[in-house]
Amino acid sequence: MSWIDYGLRGGILTTKYPKGDDAMPPDYRGEIYIIDSERDVGEVNTGICLSNAITRERRRLHIDHLRCFQCGECARTAPDTFRALPKFELAVLPQNGNATLEALKQRTRAFGRSVHLRHIDVGSDGSEEQELAAIFNPFYDANRLGIFLTATPRHADVLIVSGVVTKAMARPLEYTYDAMPQPKTVIALGTSACSGGIFANSPDVVGEVGKLLPVDVLIPGSPPSPLTILHGIWLALGRALARGASQ
Amino acid sequence: MMSPASLQTTAQRRIEAGARLAWIFADRIAPETILHYVLEEEGKLHDLCGPLFDSARALSPCVPAADWYERELTERFDVKLDGLPKHRPLTEVVSAGQLRDVAAPEVSTVLYGPVRSGIVESARWIVETAGEDFIDVYPSMFFKHRGLEDRFVSTPLPLAPFVAEHVSGATASSHAAAFCRAAERAIGIDVPDRARATRAVLVEFERIHQHLDSLAKLAEDGSLSVGSAQVFAAKERVHRLLAEATGNRFSRGVICIGGTRFDVLTKLREVCAKDLDLAEHHARTAVERLIKTQSFMDRLIGTGRLAHELVVRQGGVGPVARGSGVSSDVRTMDGYLYTPLLAEEAIEHNGDAVSRALVRVAELQRSFQLVRNALDANPSGAHAAPIQLRDGAALARVESPQGELLYFVRIAEGNLARVAIRSASYANWPLFVPSLPGNIFTDFSFIEHSFGASQAEVDR
Repeated sequence: MSWIDYGLRGGILTTKYPKGDDAMPPDYRGEIYIIDSERDVGEVNTGICLSNAITRERRRLHIDHLRCFQCGECARTAPDTFRALPKFELAVLPQNGNATLEALKQRTRAFGRSVHLRHIDVGSDGSEEQELAAIFNPFYDANRLGIFLTATPRHADVLIVSGVVTKAMARPLEYTYDAMPQPKTVIALGTSACSGGIFANSPDVVGEVGKLLPVDVLIPGSPPSPLTILHGIWLALGRALARGASQ
Repeated sequence: MMSPASLQTTAQRRIEAGARLAWIFADRIAPETILHYVLEEEGKLHDLCGPLFDSARALSPCVPAADWYERELTERFDVKLDGLPKHRPLTEVVSAGQLRDVAAPEVSTVLYGPVRSGIVESARWIVETAGEDFIDVYPSMFFKHRGLEDRFVSTPLPLAPFVAEHVSGATASSHAAAFCRAAERAIGIDVPDRARATRAVLVEFERIHQHLDSLAKLAEDGSLSVGSAQVFAAKERVHRLLAEATGNRFSRGVICIGGTRFDVLTKLREVCAKDLDLAEHHARTAVERLIKTQSFMDRLIGTGRLAHELVVRQGGVGPVARGSGVSSDVRTMDGYLYTPLLAEEAIEHNGDAVSRALVRVAELQRSFQLVRNALDANPSGAHAAPIQLRDGAALARVESPQGELLYFVRIAEGNLARVAIRSASYANWPLFVPSLPGNIFTDFSFIEHSFGASQAEVDR
């Protein structure tokens, strides 16, 4: 039996997402949801969050999803207040950025139906790379969506940056970005890239990617699952809605 | 504690008598700097430590395994070591101006990295070449240094395992387990059997997905598209199983000091009863087919060869060491996470990329068996023991997918005062350099992926 036969015998594994639906298992910790932000009377200890994603403003609890690294400690220790939902469409546009969905769509129109990604690691924990590589495995097969990897920034339309920017990687990151032709789109991959995560105030790092480059799409998660990454890329192409956005 | 002069002498004498140097690191208990020399003798770790006054004698001229540890100490911890050979810096960015000391005009120096093609972690190799052959290679590390050892300090104990999971996200459970074992020893608490079994299962699953990752990347290097896709698909099945059972595709957020955060074993048993057979079948058939594909195996034969003596001298660990016939599996030793775990380790003797791949293939099968054994044993009892706040310091080790992973934890006044990490990738990277000469440029990625190292845990 040849490799081709072996592959065919395995049947079709590929998800229909993003054109059809897919789901993460029910206990997957995707997005933390505050059950009732006004019910908090001060008994919830915001110190249970290592990355300070949970804050209290005028007796209301607030959660910064870009800082959350999905440990689920809040939902475990205060189950009446927090719940982990198995959502995976977590990517958003930056709050103070100038990229609207329409602008992204206009910009990426130039790419046609084929988009070339260049990845750069600026201080990840190593799992973001494996999840990004996973979007090309038979279960997700990003090639079917016209998403390809390219080895050089000269051929790239989209730069995917994983990890918190370390001091030594700041210059290589800017250099890579400058080497890309216009128009170009930047995606921050993973909680550390979006907000610094647990390294936000660390003296050893520069910080989140947005400190150095104009980021267009933020994909939080530690690491983001392949479905989350597909959603983020789709958002960067103006073809999906951001988390929480309505039609 | 030993007197400063006798510390290096004792360490050197014991290494010459056959002990393996596992680690050298420093701890600062103001105003003193304490040097630790960790040796392994007959499967047991010994921590020789003593204060440093002004300077100490470097071991690396006589003990090659000390090289990277001592260079990091001098470059990053201001420790003065006498007699340390002059090198290009290991942990600082080497600029182009520092490169012009090549002897022969036909030799050129190439800076390879930190940004390289494909989805890879950032690291730089300074390659001296005369066209196609490697003449010499110098590592330039720490591009990804995130200050993780410092990040632990003053982190509340219950949250500190999350920091350990950030050291290497792909092997998060190994790091969390090693950190927690060290912390548990430091504060003197025991872990219930149920938690031990859960940790063992998670670490074995991690070995399965990381070994599959390494094998799939090798297949990709060999342009074996279907083979690589199938091995990656088998890896995906493991991540899906973990996502369903633990809530995270890399089983993060489960292990805590004292045991596990919640009872995962019941859910693991339930999900494995449903999905483990298919995951194992897919992994086994794809990998068996891979090692029977002669055109692919030809590419690995003789590639990146490491002699047995070299691995022993450099203190290599994990599948890299076992591929060169060096016994190194922590799972066979007393006091491991979960006992009895492994009766016999997988060993190959040729020392090339094939041997390392075959070690991984054999370990994959054993890991599935170990998962089943631990799930079947299903020890009853609590999933965690309560944390006590007590001061202390301890070492612990876990067999991570890349090999022996060491953590040192010191707790003072109820807070984490020092956490030091010696990852398996860190112990093995110095061996990458001597594995290259004699090979050609296109072998680089094969050798790199046969090491299967994680840059994140090297740079920390």
